[in-house]
Amino acid sequence: MIRDAWRKIKGASPVGEGTGGVKPENLVWMFGTARTGSSWLSAIMGEIQGYSRWHEPLVGHLFGNLYYVRAGHRGEDEHFILGARYRELWLEMVRRFVLDSAAARFPEVAGVRYLIIKEPQGSMGAPLLMEALPESRMILLVRDPRDVVASNLDAHKKGTWTTDLMKKGGKEKPPSLAESRPDDFVKGQARRYVRDVGNAKLAYEAHKGLKVLVRYEDLRADTLNTMKRIYSALQMPVDESELARSVEKHSWENIPEEEKGQGKFHRKAKPGAWREDLTPEQAEIIEGVAGPLLRELYPVRSTA
Amino acid sequence: MTPRFKRAWRRVVTKGKSLRSRARGPSRAGEPRGVAPENIVWIFGTGRSGSTWLGSMMEDLDGYAMWNEPLVGNLFGNFYYFRVGGRKLGKHSILGEPYKETWLGPMRDLVLGGAAARFPEIIGGGYLIIKEPNGSIGSPLLMEALPESRMIFLIRDPRDVVASSMDARSEGSWLSERREDQGRTSKPDRNPNAYARMRANSYVQQIEKTRQAYRAHRGRKVMVRYEDLRADTLNTMKRIYSALKIPVDEAELARSVEKHSWENVPEEEKGEGKKRRKAKPGAWREDLTPRQIEIVEDITAPLLSEFYPLATTRDAP
Repeated sequence: MIRDAWRKIKGASPVGEGTGGVKPENLVWMFGTARTGSSWLSAIMGEIQGYSRWHEPLVGHLFGNLYYVRAGHRGEDEHFILGARYRELWLEMVRRFVLDSAAARFPEVAGVRYLIIKEPQGSMGAPLLMEALPESRMILLVRDPRDVVASNLDAHKKGTWTTDLMKKGGKEKPPSLAESRPDDFVKGQARRYVRDVGNAKLAYEAHKGLKVLVRYEDLRADTLNTMKRIYSALQMPVDESELARSVEKHSWENIPEEEKGQGKFHRKAKPGAWREDLTPEQAEIIEGVAGPLLRELYPVRSTA
Repeated sequence: MTPRFKRAWRRVVTKGKSLRSRARGPSRAGEPRGVAPENIVWIFGTGRSGSTWLGSMMEDLDGYAMWNEPLVGNLFGNFYYFRVGGRKLGKHSILGEPYKETWLGPMRDLVLGGAAARFPEIIGGGYLIIKEPNGSIGSPLLMEALPESRMIFLIRDPRDVVASSMDARSEGSWLSERREDQGRTSKPDRNPNAYARMRANSYVQQIEKTRQAYRAHRGRKVMVRYEDLRADTLNTMKRIYSALKIPVDEAELARSVEKHSWENVPEEEKGEGKKRRKAKPGAWREDLTPRQIEIVEDITAPLLSEFYPLATTRDAP
């Protein structure tokens, strides 16, 4: 009711709605967590005619971090800007944030094109975003948490690609627990996995629209058929020969050798490599923290 | 109008009428008729600087309402200034610099829409005090999004702020109990010096951002020191209203000042571990250890010398 009233007095829709802008149903959210292959998957999809890619707007982090973490205790407080009583009102603003921003950044998407929003690091806010944009489509991309943490452990060591990324942003990478206290780092990353994938899964379960759950391991094992399954589940048109070309272009084998390996963005792409990368104690830490999700998403893989 | 009556009236009005029927007085072409942005008065600074007291004195006047810590500044400021790691705020970031105009609009609407929904009694007239000390990190963005609004920069000696904050979070204190209920367990008792360092750093972040917003703001604004407010409340309040060019009935203001005076707070509600603790500028000399004083002064040195030039212990004769 509040949302309707606000729309009436506002008298204007977001740029993306009803004015030839980005259609909310043409947004495809990709949630999960970092190091699950979302760059790869979104690159394959973004390459195809009629699709654009929004690379990590972090809008889920923006709203999710305050809502769930920093002010999680204030949900029922009517003064809180994201308080329960005015949920419809602020969800409408979240919707405007996304649609206006999408329209400004990707004018080519207006009307018919699809916009892939790669948002693994904003997965904390997935339930809010999917509630604000119920017409949009959703991919829940998951990967074995032990491989996710192993990949992060490698990424956060000295001199790796994350150091270069920070340098590009004009910052020095601070010392990481990955070097000084790896087991604590592993525990922190496992908790982060639970927070991100847990919230993304909540959003997935609540979402009534088109959606698909994708395991990184399936994507690695049979990329083309998994991609076809994604387009089919999301009821999005795709030219199969074009899709095959994009899959081939972005395949692991086509990445130059010098761009792959330890400390690089493209590391191993090998499901189950956590057995080589983690100590037994570290694997046990992750299984302890992410056990319920691990058992649910990977029922036959858990070592527990 | 008493706060209790205001709240009751607000509930009745909120339930009984649509936003549209209550809306009047547009401020920008095409903007919803609602709370006039120029009638919004922000209180920025930092926590434990007397913002509840100041806000309460203002809220008590006829035609005023207070929005108590919406944290809208925290929402945007934390992300914009701190939470993006090494990332540039480029094309893809939701708060990307090249698209600032795109997101300042929805930010403005979030505040105005939230205000209209919560405080229908001030639509078409009246003032809304937004007490937002813990959202001060986002004050430059909010003042840019709402340039017509008015701003109070409330500042207090950082040593007293840290001392008050340490007391509030100590075992058994008012805030500690609340934080425990929320599952938040950080306590200064465990490592008081580390806590003093952390709180002094957050003071610097918040005050620097408030100062940035204050300097950039072309609209009506006033800077107030807590110490002046304590020393001569009524005259300082008059100065605030004068600087903000808001008319005020002086007799009503005097009554509100008197009602909220330290002396009128019941004795059992005051003291160590309570929300109202000492209200005594300079009490940090009794509360902090020499090492803690040194920590706070080192971290806040530029702000101390700017806002309290005669007050540093090291410069004292």
